[in-house]
Amino acid sequence: MSTTTGDPRPRVRTGPDGVAVLGWRCTGCGYPVAQAVLRCPLCRGPVAESAFSPEGEVWASTCLRVRVPGHTPPYAVAYVVLDDGPRVLVHTPGDRPLPPSTRARVTGTSGTGDLLAVPAGEES
Amino acid sequence: MSAAFVHGVGTSRFGRQPGVGAPSLVQQAVTEALDDAGVDDVRELDAVFAGTVFGAPGTAQRALQLLGITGVPILTFENACATSSTALHEARHAVLSGRFGRVLCLGVETMTLHFSGPITPEETDAEGRAGLALPGVYAMVASRYEHLYGLEPKALAAVSVKNRRHGALNPRAQHGAEVTAEEVLASRMVADPLTLLQCCDISDAATAAVIGGERGVGRDVRIAASALRSGELWDHRSTHPWGYELMAGVAADAWHEAGIGPGDVDVFEVHDAFTIGEITATEALGITEPGGGCDLVLSGHTALGGRQPVNPSGGLLSRGHPLGATGLAQVAEAVWQLRGEAGARQVEGARVAAVETMGGGTAGIDGNGCVVVVLGG
Ligand SMILES: [Zn+2]
Repeated sequence: MSTTTGDPRPRVRTGPDGVAVLGWRCTGCGYPVAQAVLRCPLCRGPVAESAFSPEGEVWASTCLRVRVPGHTPPYAVAYVVLDDGPRVLVHTPGDRPLPPSTRARVTGTSGTGDLLAVPAGEES
Repeated sequence: MSAAFVHGVGTSRFGRQPGVGAPSLVQQAVTEALDDAGVDDVRELDAVFAGTVFGAPGTAQRALQLLGITGVPILTFENACATSSTALHEARHAVLSGRFGRVLCLGVETMTLHFSGPITPEETDAEGRAGLALPGVYAMVASRYEHLYGLEPKALAAVSVKNRRHGALNPRAQHGAEVTAEEVLASRMVADPLTLLQCCDISDAATAAVIGGERGVGRDVRIAASALRSGELWDHRSTHPWGYELMAGVAADAWHEAGIGPGDVDVFEVHDAFTIGEITATEALGITEPGGGCDLVLSGHTALGGRQPVNPSGGLLSRGHPLGATGLAQVAEAVWQLRGEAGARQVEGARVAAVETMGGGTAGIDGNGCVVVVLGG
């Protein structure tokens, strides 16, 4: 349903070592970012492509129960701060949001391109 | 110019009124504001600072020509929900700097033209594309707030009950019906923990204010301070809920310029697009300490009749939220309160008012923009 050409959502890579969330990291100050950047937003230093850990901690969460184009309610979402990485918005299973401080793991992307995550330690 | 003043304010009717259109809404609001300011000749206006979020290019010019307001510079601002507050802030500085003697500020939004239900999230935004609609943004605020301080549903409900009780006294309110806490909590869940009656409604409306210098007219209301910032990066380093640090920073700027603090303010209009927004705003403004916002509303401190009423107009929850028009609606209420013209919802003896508008929707930052205006004193 999208008419947007460049998808702004973070991307993942699935390889023999599992899933990694792709993004950029400043080679000077280490700032991690999942959005495409030419320079570091903090220090204007050069950035290098980076693969971040799929695991992290839930920062906040909710479940959307209204119609949103391209999404079927109800759907639970969470901000997850990836270990040594950026904070990303993920979709989680079911309609019970994962409480803040829960450990979570990104497992891939949905058919429509959203990041998916489950409680860490659970199978996807 | 040592100070800028609000010479007059006006609004259209608020509501879902898809057949009306921006030109008609603008004429309603501007006609009232010009009459209120005693401006008989539109050639007394030196510029128009307009605002709309979803309006088509030329929305302001298309409407203003019908009022004979042509020729002067007409600038259109966009700053999400803080759009017309931003126009007011900039108009004030244009007057203070001497660039313009008198500026008409205008906010207009015809939301039913663009949306049949809630605002759809922006597809070019990383989180909007992932389905994080605005109720979700505020629900995330509630989630984080609960994690930090605890959050009882009854406190969220109390904001809606209070503001809708206030709105029942406001003939301009889109939703003038009172509700009970039970009804608020039993209404349909929109984004956990925010239920339908904790969410503002979209609206079609226009609002206006005439800003100028001191002219010795007793009804004119002095703008004691105004502050505007956009959000800082809001990322993996952040601990506070979305918008909190931006609101607190802008409020600190405004208190510093006004030379007063939140305890000196008699009445507030704050951005209660969702109930949790009022709770965090009252903390960020410094009315109470972080984590104290629930007790503040539950204690009655912020109700009409309390020590510092918040949203006597009914707020966005009751008045409706025509995005680009909301900021000046808040300012209009503050002006009426300070003049003693607020009717059944009048805060007795109000001398100082503060307005806070928070605009958001862009992932990665702590808010598109926030404006705090201090009036009177
Ligand atoms: Zn850097």
